[in-house]
Amino acid sequence: MAFRAAVLRHIRLPVQTLKPTASRAPSQWSLLRLFSSHDDHLTKEEVIDRVLDVVKSFPKVDPSKVTPDVHFQKDLGLDSLDNVEIVMALEEEFKLEIPDKEADKIDSCNLAIEYIYNHPMAG
Amino acid sequence: MAASGVAGPTRTEVLQLYRSLLRVARQFSDYNIREYSKRRTIDAFRDNKNLTDPSQLSAAFSDGKAQLEVAKRQALVYSLYAPKVKSIMDIKAS
Repeated sequence: MAFRAAVLRHIRLPVQTLKPTASRAPSQWSLLRLFSSHDDHLTKEEVIDRVLDVVKSFPKVDPSKVTPDVHFQKDLGLDSLDNVEIVMALEEEFKLEIPDKEADKIDSCNLAIEYIYNHPMAG
Repeated sequence: MAASGVAGPTRTEVLQLYRSLLRVARQFSDYNIREYSKRRTIDAFRDNKNLTDPSQLSAAFSDGKAQLEVAKRQALVYSLYAPKVKSIMDIKAS
């Protein structure tokens, strides 16, 4: 028995304590989202980032001019047809169906971000 | 040719037609037809952007509306017989 214990003492592996994760996830809110099934609404930041990405990747837009308050026709030099295209691209990005009346009013990044953030179905 | 007396399309109507055409284009399950519809709509509306003559405007607008009807029917028919295998362009790179 003693022999067995002695052998075990030698071959027993040391228990490794896990180091606490060095950095928490960059945004604590994303952790919260994992554990909650109710709060799956997009954060304002996320909406802003994704809206700006969509606008920047529009071929006629100069990405360096895109800011959250930029006006599509006045600042980016687009026309009303481009406006419709951008709103369609936003619909695809956020999987929304924006009715024509509302879509006609969206002519700047501000309005787009407001509308999408306040839309319950934005995904 | 006698003037028809019907007022030409308003700016809002034109934009609504544009949006409807783009929406219908989105419904096509086939990548090629979807992209073609989108491209063709954009090109056609851009080409006619500077029309001012009312009869030309009306003609272009009616043409657009007719195409919209065709596209809606075709989108429906295509969806009934959609192939199971999607185009490679539709498969997102993982």
